[in-house]
Amino acid sequence: MTSTENLVKRLPNDIGGLPAEPIQRVEHELEPWEKRCHALADVLDFHKIINTEEKRCGVEALGAEMVGKLSYYERWIVAFANILFRKQILAPEELARKMDEVRARWNGEAVVGN
Amino acid sequence: MEPHDHGHEAGHGHDHPHDHAEIGQLAPPQFYDIMETAVRELLIEKKLIEPDEIRRQIEVLDSRTPALGARVVARAWLDPEFRARLLANGRAACEEFGISFYDDTQLIVLENTETVHNLIVCTLCSCYPRPVLGLPPDWYKLKPYRARAVIEPRAVLAEFGTIIPDDVEVRVSDSTAMVRYLVLPRRPEGTEDFTEDELAAIVTRDTMIGVVPATVAAGGIRQ
Repeated sequence: MTSTENLVKRLPNDIGGLPAEPIQRVEHELEPWEKRCHALADVLDFHKIINTEEKRCGVEALGAEMVGKLSYYERWIVAFANILFRKQILAPEELARKMDEVRARWNGEAVVGN
Repeated sequence: MEPHDHGHEAGHGHDHPHDHAEIGQLAPPQFYDIMETAVRELLIEKKLIEPDEIRRQIEVLDSRTPALGARVVARAWLDPEFRARLLANGRAACEEFGISFYDDTQLIVLENTETVHNLIVCTLCSCYPRPVLGLPPDWYKLKPYRARAVIEPRAVLAEFGTIIPDDVEVRVSDSTAMVRYLVLPRRPEGTEDFTEDELAAIVTRDTMIGVVPATVAAGGIRQ
């Protein structure tokens, strides 16, 4: 098999059957934002805005590097943003402005213009 | 249905789902935290979702713990007709039992027997019977379990301390977005006089994933 062939045959999520490390029996209590992110995923599914399979594909579309380096719910929220851009529900600039506003609000800063 | 609290998930931390809600916010907000809030607020501003929906869904998520699945298993152990309905249509039987499904998923219940041991996994992501077990543990979502469970399940089980005899078939079921699985573990010997609550107390999350058998010791205190 050529060195790139496996990249074509195996998308980032498709890891069933690959060699891997021993199981580390890790668990953590979800952070508040992680739990909100999970609830958001469910609500997006209820409203048929983003269903579970679209979410899974959206995570896969992040590519191997992001899938490998972002945490579980980090992958989800970035995938949601990308899917919402693609569906033209949100625009990238709009999200960037809103993130600036949220950051400023949380830092106790006044929001100047937009 | 009444929630029950038998401390059956030692070290798992499902006992106090509400205690940590404020703590994380003391840390400075990070990029993804900000992104989540921004996406949510924009969707609310566009009236695509209601502000209250997220909060209500968090309450639903918090209400789902392995204690629900444990009650289903205990009932199935005691009531052969319920067990038959559960194996025929997992979702319908759970709904009949009072467990609502907040998604479109189907549930297939896999019965462990003398000759078959079942294990569930989601190789592609993290599909899990959330309405009956709550959210999956981190290890279920990480690469080692997802990659290896389907190719060397006996080795994976051994890492959980579970040794399956060679003459017992190990069946691994790979979940999808629409089809979820729940393992109906074998009722351990020595539980013939247990009440339904006592039985539920020995059914842990991991027994319903299939990585460990149900054992009398798992229930801890018994009268």
